[in-house]
Amino acid sequence: MKISLNWLNDYVSLSTISNDALQASFTNQSAEVEGLYPLTEARNLVVGETISCEPHPDADKLSVCSVDVGKETLQIICGASNIKANQKVIVALPGAVLPGDFKIKKAKIRGVESNGMICSLKELGIDEKYHQEEGIHVLEADAPVGEDAIEYMALDDTVLELDLTPNRSDLLSMHGVAYDVKAMFDIDISIPTPSIKTSSVSNPLSISTQTDKCMSYYGRIIDNIEIKPAPRWMQSRLIAAGIRPINNVVDIANYVMLETNQPLHAFDYDKVSSNQIVVREAQEGEKFTTLDEKERTLKHGDILITNGQKPIALGGVMGGLETEVTTATTSLILESATFDPVTIRRTSKRLDLKSESSLRFEKGLDPNATRYALERACELFAKYASGEIRSTIQYFDNNNQSTKTIEISLETINSVLGTALAITDVQNILKRLEFSYETNDLTLTVYAPTRRVDIQTYQDLIEEIGRIYDYNNLAATLPKTVSKGGLSDYQRFKRLVRDVLSGLSLDEVLTYSLRSEQEVFDLARIKDLTPVKLANPISEAHNTLALSPLNGLVETATYNLNRKQPAVNIFELSKRYTVAKETEVLGVLMVGPYHDYRWKKAPNSDFFTLKGVLQALFQRFNIETISYETTQIENYHPHQCALIKDGETVLGHIGKLHPEYASKHTTEDVYVAEVDIEALYARLSSEPHYEKVLKYPSVSRDIALIIDEDIPAGDVIKSIKENSTTVLKEAYIFDVYQGKNLEDGKKSLAVRLRFEDKSGTLKTTTIDEIIKNILEALKAECGAVLR
Amino acid sequence: MDLKKQIETLEKALKEELKSVKNQADLQNVKAKFIGKKAELSSFMKHMKDLPNDEKPLFGQSINKAKGRFNELIEARKEALRQEEINKKLAQETIDVTLDAPDFSVGTRHILNQIIEEIEDLFIGMGYQIKEGPEIESDEMNFEKLNLPKDHPARDMQDSLYISEDTLLRTHTSPVQVRTMLEYGGKRPVKIICPGKVYRRDDDDATHSHQFMQIEGLVVDNDTTMSDLKGTLLEVARKMFGPDREIRLRPSYFPFTEPSVEVDVTCANCDGAGCNICKQSGYIEILGAGMVNNKVLKDSGYDPEVYQGFAFGIGVERMAMLKYGIEDIRHFYTNDLRFNKQFNR
Repeated sequence: MKISLNWLNDYVSLSTISNDALQASFTNQSAEVEGLYPLTEARNLVVGETISCEPHPDADKLSVCSVDVGKETLQIICGASNIKANQKVIVALPGAVLPGDFKIKKAKIRGVESNGMICSLKELGIDEKYHQEEGIHVLEADAPVGEDAIEYMALDDTVLELDLTPNRSDLLSMHGVAYDVKAMFDIDISIPTPSIKTSSVSNPLSISTQTDKCMSYYGRIIDNIEIKPAPRWMQSRLIAAGIRPINNVVDIANYVMLETNQPLHAFDYDKVSSNQIVVREAQEGEKFTTLDEKERTLKHGDILITNGQKPIALGGVMGGLETEVTTATTSLILESATFDPVTIRRTSKRLDLKSESSLRFEKGLDPNATRYALERACELFAKYASGEIRSTIQYFDNNNQSTKTIEISLETINSVLGTALAITDVQNILKRLEFSYETNDLTLTVYAPTRRVDIQTYQDLIEEIGRIYDYNNLAATLPKTVSKGGLSDYQRFKRLVRDVLSGLSLDEVLTYSLRSEQEVFDLARIKDLTPVKLANPISEAHNTLALSPLNGLVETATYNLNRKQPAVNIFELSKRYTVAKETEVLGVLMVGPYHDYRWKKAPNSDFFTLKGVLQALFQRFNIETISYETTQIENYHPHQCALIKDGETVLGHIGKLHPEYASKHTTEDVYVAEVDIEALYARLSSEPHYEKVLKYPSVSRDIALIIDEDIPAGDVIKSIKENSTTVLKEAYIFDVYQGKNLEDGKKSLAVRLRFEDKSGTLKTTTIDEIIKNILEALKAECGAVLR
Repeated sequence: MDLKKQIETLEKALKEELKSVKNQADLQNVKAKFIGKKAELSSFMKHMKDLPNDEKPLFGQSINKAKGRFNELIEARKEALRQEEINKKLAQETIDVTLDAPDFSVGTRHILNQIIEEIEDLFIGMGYQIKEGPEIESDEMNFEKLNLPKDHPARDMQDSLYISEDTLLRTHTSPVQVRTMLEYGGKRPVKIICPGKVYRRDDDDATHSHQFMQIEGLVVDNDTTMSDLKGTLLEVARKMFGPDREIRLRPSYFPFTEPSVEVDVTCANCDGAGCNICKQSGYIEILGAGMVNNKVLKDSGYDPEVYQGFAFGIGVERMAMLKYGIEDIRHFYTNDLRFNKQFNR
C-alpha cells in the first residue's frame, strides 16, 4: 500500500511528526515500512510559456524555443515533437536537478545556446505506467508562469510504502491508515462528512437481490456529467497511491475507494436502459462480456448485477462492456455495494481478474462505509464533474452494522502479554484506537468499530493492545514450564550415525527429496514400492519423491567429479518416501581414493573400502552379526553387489554401480550403500555386555582349505562358527589364493581360529577335537578339504 | 725390558689402528690383535717367570691394567661405530616433513544440520524435547488444524505441492506441533521444537527453494506469555548471531498465532547503524512467531480457557545465509564440496 503523505495530512496532522518517527512507529506498531520517498526528486522547476518555437538551424528534430519563465525569457532547445509556441510547459532551469542526479546546465547544442530544459513527465521520474505521454508535458492554459511547477502539479509529496499483512485490510484505505497514525501518536483525527446538494429529479431505481451473496447495494443517479481530467491534486495523489489517472469519473471512483476501502462502480445510465437493479447468481455456463472486451463463461455462484433482464456487471469483479462509461456518457448510476468475500475471491481467481476492487471485496468491508463512500463520491462528482445528484438514494442493506462486542479482563491481557498494565493503560490504548468500551471493575466490554473487520476475538484485542503498547516494551523472560529436555534414544542414535560417518572422513550432504521419475525408477528402487508422484509438480526434474538417498548422492558425485574433485566420499541420512510410510535411510557413496595422498598414488576405494566404512559403523553399535549375501540389483554391477543382512532381516544393500549406468552420470567406479536406519536401530541392544578380560593369551590355529571358487568365504566362516563351541572366539580369512598348484575352479582359503577359555589354558586335545568337528562339517557343508 | 715403554708403544699402535677401523669385523681383528690370547700384550706374561718375585705382582698388574684400558678403547670405538651405523641407517630414512599427509580429515557435517543441532542443543538446555513427523501430510494437519480452512486467503501465501486433494508435502513443520498436542491429549504442558524439511511450490532461484529446513517451536502451559516468547527468541538470536545482539518485534500476521510478530535481529555487520547487508535499516528479519491462536489450541484438544502458548518458526537456510553472507540458497542443495567443506563449526 502506497500512501501520499499530503493526503494523509488531510485527516491527521503530520506537521510535528518526523519521517523517521513515522517510519519507526509504523514498523514497530502497525505495518512494516518498505519505503519512504519523495514522489518526484525533481526540484527547482518552474512553469514556463513558449513564446516562439523555431526549427534548429543544424538539426532536424530540435526546436529553438523562447520561453517566458516569469523573471526572464530564456532560449531553450527542445527535442520533443509536440513542442510548439504558446504552450505552458515545465522548465528545468540551470541548477535544477532531475531524478538520476541529472544536473541541468547551460549548454550549446549543435552550436545554439540552451538555458535549461523543457520536461516530460518521465523526466520528472513519473513512471510511464501513470501516463501515456510522448514528449513534453503540456500544462493547463491557466498555469501560472514563473511559479514552482512541482507545487503547481501537486507533486511535492512523499510516498509511504507499507507492506501490509493480510489481516490489516483496514490499512488499504487512507481512513484506516489515519486511524492507525492517530493511535500510534495519540493525536486528533478528522474524517469529513460529505455534503451534497441534490437536484429535484427523483431516483427511480428499484434495487433488489435474489442472492444473499450480495449483502448491500446502494445506488444513486448523477446527471449532466462532464467528463474531463480530474484536478491535478487528485491525479497526483492517485499516482502516489500507484494508480493511473484516467478521467474524472474513473479517478473519483478510485479516489473514494482509496479513502474508504469501498469500491464503487459507475454504469452509463442510458445504456443500462432500465430502472431496475437485480442482483442474482449466474447460471452455469452463462456468458458475459466484461469491460476488457473479453467474453467470460460463468459458473453457478458468480454474482451478477442485472438490469432485470440481462447482466450489466460481474459483481465485485468487473463491469460489463455494454454499460461502460465513455466520453459520451452524461448520466451515471453509481453503485456502492458489498458482496460475499469468498465468492469474490473464487470468481476473480478463476477468471484471473484480480483488481484493486476485488482485492478489497475479498477481505471484507466496513458495512458502515458503503453509504458513506457513495455520498463522498457524489460530493466529488458535483464538484469536479459538474454532476447533478438526483434526490434520493435507493438501496437495500442486509449487513449487520452493529459493532462487535468483546469481553476481556485485564488479567487476561497481562497474562498473555506478560505485562503489568493497569486498567487505565488499557483504556488509554483503546481510546487511542477509537474503540469504545465499558469498564466493569477490571473487565472491559469493548465495541470494535466496524471498519476493523479483523477484530473478532479477545485475542485480536490483545494484539491491538500489544502492538500499540509496542512489543518492544515487553520484558524478555523464559517460560516457567519446568520440563525434562533431551533427545530421544533414537535421535541420539541418528546423531551418532552422522558423527561416526563424518569421523570416518565422509562429508554429509543434503539433497532434494523430489527427483525425476526416471531417477527414482532407475536406482535402488525396492520392488513393490510405488513411488509418490506430485499432482502439481514445478518441473519434471522434481516430480517424484525419492525412494533412496542414493539419487541425490549420485547427482552430487557427478557434480563434484565434473569439477575435478579427486574423490567424493559422502553420506546422507534422509528418507524413503511412500504414501503409507516414510522410512529413514542412510545412503553412502564412495568414488576415488578414500584417503588421498596427492604426492603418491593412493588406491581408489573399492567394494571393501565401503564395506569397511559400514562395518565401522556397525561396530560402533556393537553389532557383530551382520552378514553380506550376494545379490543382483538393477543398474548395479552383477557380481559386486550384496544385501546387508542381520539374520533374516535385510538392513540394506551395498554394491558397485553398473559401469553402464555409472557412465551415464560419472566416468568413475562408484560404490554405494543404503542402510535402513530404523531397522538398524531396532536391532541395537540397550547396554554393552561385559566379559572379564583373560590374563593369558588366547590360542590361535591356522587351517588352509581348498574349496570351490564360487563358495563365499562367509559360508565357510558361518559353518565354522556353527560347528564349534563357545571357546572359539573368532574365525577369519587371512589369505585367499587361486592359481598355480590349484585345480581350476578351486580356491584356497587360509582361516585363523582363535580360542579362549575362561576356566584356564585350553588343552591341545580339546582344540584338536573342535577342529576335527569343524573340518568334518566344512567338508559336508561346503565341500572344503584341508590343503 | 722396559714394560712400561712397550705398553705405551702398543697403546699408541692400538689407537692408530682403531682410528682406521671401519666396521665391526675390522674391530674384532684389532681386538684379537691387541687383547686376544695371541696378542703381544698377552705374550708379555711369558716374561713374568723371569722376574724376581717381588716384582711379579706389579708386572702382572700393569699388564692387566693395560688390558683393561685397551678394552675400554676398543669398546669405545665399538660404540662409536654402532652409533655411526645407526646414524647412517637413519640418514637413509630422511623424509621431507613438509610434504602433505594423507587426507584423513574428518568429514564435514552439512551446515544446515550443524545449525539445527546447535539450536536443538540450545533448546534441550532449556528443557525442550525434539519432535519429528512426516513430510507427506494431510491437508487437515498442515492447514485446517492450523486455522487455515480451505478458502482461507492466507493459503495463497504458501502455494503447496500436492500429492492428492487431501495429501501434500508439508509447507511447515507446524503439523508436528498439532500431532504432539493431539498425542498429549490436551492434558499436559507442551515444550517442543520441531526441525525438518518443508516444501513450497516455488521455482528455485537465489532466494527461493522448493525444499528448505525449518525449526518450529511450541510452548503451551497455563502461564506461557508473550514476554516468554521474546526472551526465548532473544536466546536464539544471541546463540546464532552473537551475545551482543538485540531483537525487535514487529506486528505481523499468521493464521495460527495471535498476536503475531516478525522478529528482527540487530545487524551484526553494522551493529544496528545501517549498512548494505541490512539495507540501511540496522535490522535483519530472522523469524516469525506469536501466541498460539485459540482456535488452533482448541482444534488440537487444548482448552484455551486453561492453556495458552507461543510458537515460532525459524528458516534455517535464512539463518545460515545471514550469518555467513551466503548469496544463493541453492548452494545448500548443490553440495559442491568446495562449499560444504567450508563449514566446520
